[in-house]
Amino acid sequence: MRIRVDHATTYGYERPADGVIQALRVQPRDHEGQRVANWRVDVEADGVLRARQDAFGNWLHLFAADQPLTSLTVRVVGEVEVRDMSGVVRTAEPFAPGVFLRAPPLTLPDPALQAWAAETPPGPVLDRLHGLMARLHERLSFDTQATTVATAASEAFTHAAGVCQDYAHIFIASARSLGIPARYVSGHLARTDAQEAAHAWAEAFVPDLGWVAFDAANRVCAGETHLRVAVGLDYLDAAPMRGARRGGGQETLSVAVHAREARLQRQD
Amino acid sequence: MQMLSRTAASLFWTGRYIERADFMCRLLDATARLASLPSTYGGDPTAWTGALSAAGVADAFAATGLEPSEAAVTHFLAVSADNPSSVRHCLERARGNARAVRTALTLEAWEALNGAWHEVDRFAGPRFTQGRMGELVETVRRAVLAFDGAAHRTMLRGGAYWFLQLGAAVERADNTARLLDVKYHLLLPRDEAVGGSLDHFQWVTVLRTVSANTAYRWLYRDTVKPWLVADLLIFDSRMPRSLICCYAEIVERLDQLTHGSGKRGPANRTAVTILRQLQDTDIDKVFAAGVHEFIGRFLADNARLGAAVAEQFLF
Repeated sequence: MRIRVDHATTYGYERPADGVIQALRVQPRDHEGQRVANWRVDVEADGVLRARQDAFGNWLHLFAADQPLTSLTVRVVGEVEVRDMSGVVRTAEPFAPGVFLRAPPLTLPDPALQAWAAETPPGPVLDRLHGLMARLHERLSFDTQATTVATAASEAFTHAAGVCQDYAHIFIASARSLGIPARYVSGHLARTDAQEAAHAWAEAFVPDLGWVAFDAANRVCAGETHLRVAVGLDYLDAAPMRGARRGGGQETLSVAVHAREARLQRQD
Repeated sequence: MQMLSRTAASLFWTGRYIERADFMCRLLDATARLASLPSTYGGDPTAWTGALSAAGVADAFAATGLEPSEAAVTHFLAVSADNPSSVRHCLERARGNARAVRTALTLEAWEALNGAWHEVDRFAGPRFTQGRMGELVETVRRAVLAFDGAAHRTMLRGGAYWFLQLGAAVERADNTARLLDVKYHLLLPRDEAVGGSLDHFQWVTVLRTVSANTAYRWLYRDTVKPWLVADLLIFDSRMPRSLICCYAEIVERLDQLTHGSGKRGPANRTAVTILRQLQDTDIDKVFAAGVHEFIGRFLADNARLGAAVAEQFLF
């Protein structure tokens, strides 16, 4: 499927904020099931914008504003051709899978989560991961009010509610406690309804197969509607936008994300 | 990219003036064809007045106090010293700018431009006659192609080349938009009754002025329809003189120019905004909102971009 993403994020500051910097992980890379046809990242303010790759191989745009700002809009537009690979992701990997057994605070399991993960039926790794995804999908209910971006896996697990980020964190924490390397993926899910489409899921390492993407919130392996943008140990590594500033008072944030099947070329 | 602002400005304006000289030549050629048709068959007695408007020099011509006859207008557009946009004047400015930054150009590119200027200079003044108009147009057209070819084949892909191309793209967008603005009353929406042979020849003239006659037939395989002409010249990204194609190039050149330092400023922002506006609309929306208003806004936007480039690169 050809997915078109059009995505505008506007930060508003109560007072002019000085020294605004942003780290953007908003540009996807190619892998075997995904080819970026065109992609643009624009920051609607004067300043320095540079692109590089971070340690995980993600595209990282760093922006530093020239002047104090009262608002900052980041606009991302692009089209990507995505093929259904049944969740298997083949791409150049800068790290050995073992690196993704490390658990930073957001994905550190508490005893309850560890115990729950250990109840996953035994078997080959791939079957266990599917079992884990099914159980997690049963266990958690989708609720946009229950958690925030800072909620850790075990906390969301206790509430048994959360959003795609929490599904991914719990899946990752459980897989790692079973000794399976797992990582966080941020991206987009192409939708036909008008719902906002920034999305997150998880990838786990299966011997002899490689990295496989599990979207526990939807109980599917990532297919042709999943556009993979950035990976990391947890949300903080792969977050689309992180920033810092001096002053500026209260911050307001408005996000408009649209990811949908690209229209055919106009012909008449 | 390290370059003096003055050098950047000279390259930018070299690109603009060469592009304008080329447009003037094609305008002269297409108008001569239109005016030479018998009026019963579509020949247009106002063709030369229209050409003055398309060139954006109607006021300057009025100031000369001459009748807009073929001879007077041709002289004015081709070689007149009173016309800041005459072919001769454009080449003079292009050469002046290029000479100031001679070492930023390759020998081949410089020679193409310098040679054209010397040839055209011989046409100037009282020795210029109507009969030599065709010769002039042909000389300049060939020289512009030679310059573009030389730049393409010999120049390093760096700041100098990008500024040259940026100037050319800004000017190209401006020329196409001004041509459309003069003929906007002919660009009728779909389903509107198509006029007689007069309109047909007007549209063919528009297409010829932007070298799009063959492209049109290739793309549409149809008789000349006004809404298709408008669509081609505004929204078709395959058409090198369409507004959207010019803006895609402008955005790309500005990205290239700012890639090294990462410093993005008003020119980057303005260009991206204008390109996005073009991408977010289509020909039916333009007709609904008014072609004249649309083009007027575009011309203002394009002028704003020119100013933003000057601001960002300290011209």
